[in-house]
Amino acid sequence: MSIMEYNGGSVVAMVGKGCVAIASDKRLGQQFMTVSTNFQKIFPASEKTYIGLPGLATDVLTLSERFRFNINMYKMEEERDIEPKTVAHMISSTLYQRRFGPYFVEPVVAGLSKDNTPFICAMDLIGCINFAKDFVVSGTASQNLYGMCESLWEPDLEPEDLFETISQALLNAQDRDALSGWGAVVHIITPDKVITRSLKSRQD
Amino acid sequence: MNSLVQKYSKSSTAHDDDVLGVHGKWDASLDLAFPTFDIPGAQNPLSFLRNVTDEASSDYKIKIQHGTTTLAFKFQGGIIVAVDSRATMGNYIGSQTVKKVIEINPYLLGTMAGGAADCSYWERELGRRCRLYELTNKERISVAAASKLLANLVLPYKGMGLSMGTMVTGWDKSGPNLYYVDSDGSRIKGDLFSVGSGSTFAYGVLDSGYRNDLTVEEALELGKRSIFHAAHRDAMSGGSVNLYHIHEEGWTYHGNHDVAALFWEYQDLKAEERAAAVGKQ
Amino acid sequence: MNFLDSPLSKPAPYVVAPIEHRFDPYEDNGGTSVAIAGEDFCVVASDTRQSNGYMINSRYAPKAYKMSSTAVLSCNGFHADGVTLKKVLEQRMKMYKYSHDKDMSVTALAQMLSNTLYQRRFFPYYAFCLLGGVDADGKGAVYCYDSVGSFERENYRTSGSASALIQPFLDNQVGRKNQQNASTAPLTLEAVLRITKDAFTSATERDIHTGDNLQIFVITRDGVEEQNFPLKKD
Repeated sequence: MSIMEYNGGSVVAMVGKGCVAIASDKRLGQQFMTVSTNFQKIFPASEKTYIGLPGLATDVLTLSERFRFNINMYKMEEERDIEPKTVAHMISSTLYQRRFGPYFVEPVVAGLSKDNTPFICAMDLIGCINFAKDFVVSGTASQNLYGMCESLWEPDLEPEDLFETISQALLNAQDRDALSGWGAVVHIITPDKVITRSLKSRQD
Repeated sequence: MNSLVQKYSKSSTAHDDDVLGVHGKWDASLDLAFPTFDIPGAQNPLSFLRNVTDEASSDYKIKIQHGTTTLAFKFQGGIIVAVDSRATMGNYIGSQTVKKVIEINPYLLGTMAGGAADCSYWERELGRRCRLYELTNKERISVAAASKLLANLVLPYKGMGLSMGTMVTGWDKSGPNLYYVDSDGSRIKGDLFSVGSGSTFAYGVLDSGYRNDLTVEEALELGKRSIFHAAHRDAMSGGSVNLYHIHEEGWTYHGNHDVAALFWEYQDLKAEERAAAVGKQ
Repeated sequence: MNFLDSPLSKPAPYVVAPIEHRFDPYEDNGGTSVAIAGEDFCVVASDTRQSNGYMINSRYAPKAYKMSSTAVLSCNGFHADGVTLKKVLEQRMKMYKYSHDKDMSVTALAQMLSNTLYQRRFFPYYAFCLLGGVDADGKGAVYCYDSVGSFERENYRTSGSASALIQPFLDNQVGRKNQQNASTAPLTLEAVLRITKDAFTSATERDIHTGDNLQIFVITRDGVEEQNFPLKKD
C-alpha cells in the first residue's frame, strides 16, 4: 500500500460567485482500521484563507504547525494578512525543499484575496501548483471527487448553493472510498464571514 | 503441483481442436456437473495467476472483490448468522449491497468471506449436491456432511489461489450445527465464529455479550451489534447488516439493517442510558 | 496433432541455458460502461474509444453487444477477452435454444455468464462485464460482474476505467444517496438518458481512456433500440 493511503482522507475546494468553499472528511486510519473520526485536515491560514492537508497524518501535523509559524512570522514582519496566492507559494517552496525526501501530503489552498477574488489551488507532494478556476480535489477519494465535481459544479454559485454542491460532491465521493468518510466539515468563505458546518454522514 | 493442475483441469493449449471447450456438444448440466477449469499455458500457471490478481503486484490487473465481516454463533435458541454487505477493490468500494449469506436450501446457510466468486460458485455447487443427496437418500443431508462436501470440493485446488472462508450452518437431526470451512482445508466444528477483515472487532463485541441462555431477541441484537461495530471500525466492512436465525424449522431472515441508520440509533440509545444513569444518582 | 508434441516446438538438444519466458496475455483497452434499470426498461451505455496506454487504437470500437432481444452485454477491460467471451456466450445460448426450444432469459444468461467466467478462474478473462435487460416480468435488470464471475443484480452500475468517477454520481442521482426528503418515484427513460449522457460527458473530461462516442442501448419488452451520442474526441 502506498504511504499516501496509509491514513486516508480527502479534501475538495470549489469556487463560487465571490466566495470559495473547502471541505474535508474527518477520518484518521491506520490502513483499513479507523482510529479517529474527528481528525482535522483543514487549517486556517488567515481570516479568509484555509489550507487543506490530506495525506500522511504525521506530515499533516508537522506541516500545519510549520505553516502556522511561517504565516505568523509573515504577519509580524509585513504587518498585514497573508494573501492566498502567497500561502500557496510558501507551501510550494516548503515542499520543494524536500524534493528528494518529500512530505507525503498533497495540499489544497482556498481563500479570497484582498480584493475578494476567489482563489483555489492544489499541489502534488513536491509542490507543483495547479491553479484551477473551478475546483480542485486531493486525497484517497480524488478520482471519485473528480467525477462528482465535474458533473455537479457550475459557474457563479451563490454561497448557499456552493455549500450544497460541495457537500453533495464530498459526501457521495467519500461513500465510495473505504479510506475517507466518518463525517465531514465544510468551510464557506465569503467576503464578510466564514461559515463552518459539520456534516452528518455514514459512519462506515 | 503440476500433476494436480493436470488432474483437475483441461489446459487451453493441450486441447488441439477445441481450444475453449465450447464447440460441439457443450452441455451445461454435464459440464457443470464435473467442473473443469482452463489453465493458462504459461511456464508456471500458479505464479501467473498470483501475479495478475495480487493487489501488491506490479502486473495487478484482475481486480477481485474482497473484505468482509461475517459471524455465526450457537445459543439455546438455535444459531444466529449476521454479515455485512460491502465489497472493496483496493480502497474503492465496489458494492454496498452484497448478499454474503448464501441460502443453500431452506435449512442450510453458508456465509461468504474472501473471494466473492469462489464462495458463491462453490456454495451453489454445494447446494446442487445437497439436493442430489436428498433425492438419492430420501432424507436431508446433515450439516456435518454438507460442510465436508464443501471442504472436499475445494481441497483439490489448495495452493492454486482460491480464497474462501465460510461458515456452513443449519439444523439437522442432531440439532443446530455450525462448521467453519476454508480454502486451506480447515473444517472446524464450533459454537462461535467470526470471519473476515473485521472479525477481530466483531469478536470483541460478541465475546463480551455472549451467553448460551440468550433469548432469540437478545441473540439477534448481539449479532447485529457485533457486525455494526466491525463495520464502524473496519474500512473494508460496511453497508448494511443481514440477519438470520436458524431454528428447528429451518432459517428465518431477520431483515437488512443499514449501518448508517444503526449508528444514530445506537448513539441515541447510549444517550438515553446515560440520562437514566444520571437520574438514578 | 498437438503443437506441443510437434518436433518444431521441442527445444533443440544443444540449448542448455534455461530460457526465461514471460507470459503477458493481457492488455488494458480502457473504456467505461453504465447500466441503469428502470421500471420497465433498461439502458446500457458504453463509450466507443479503444485505447492502449496513451495511444488511441480506434474511435469507434463498440464493446457492448446485443445478446438477445432482451439482453445487452458490455465488456470493459481487454477487448479481445470481451469479444471472445461474447462469442462463447453466443454459442452457449444457441446450445440452450436447441435443447430447450426457447430463448434464454436475462436471469438465466446472468447465471451462465457467471459460470462461464468462473470456468476461467485460474486464467481469468480480463473483462469487467455489465449485463442489462428486461426480465421475464418485464422489469429492468442490471447484473454486474467481477472478472471471475462474482455477480449481483442491481438497479444501476458503472464499470471500466472511469467507474470511480461515475459511480458516486449515479449513487447520488439514481440511488438518491445523501439526499434528504428525495422523491422515491422511479426514473423515466428521459431522466435516465439525461443522467447517462451527463455522466459520460463529465467522465470524458477527466479520464483519457473514455471518449469519442457513446453507444446507448435502450432495452424494453419490445426489443433493443440503439442510439449514438457524440463525446469529446480530445
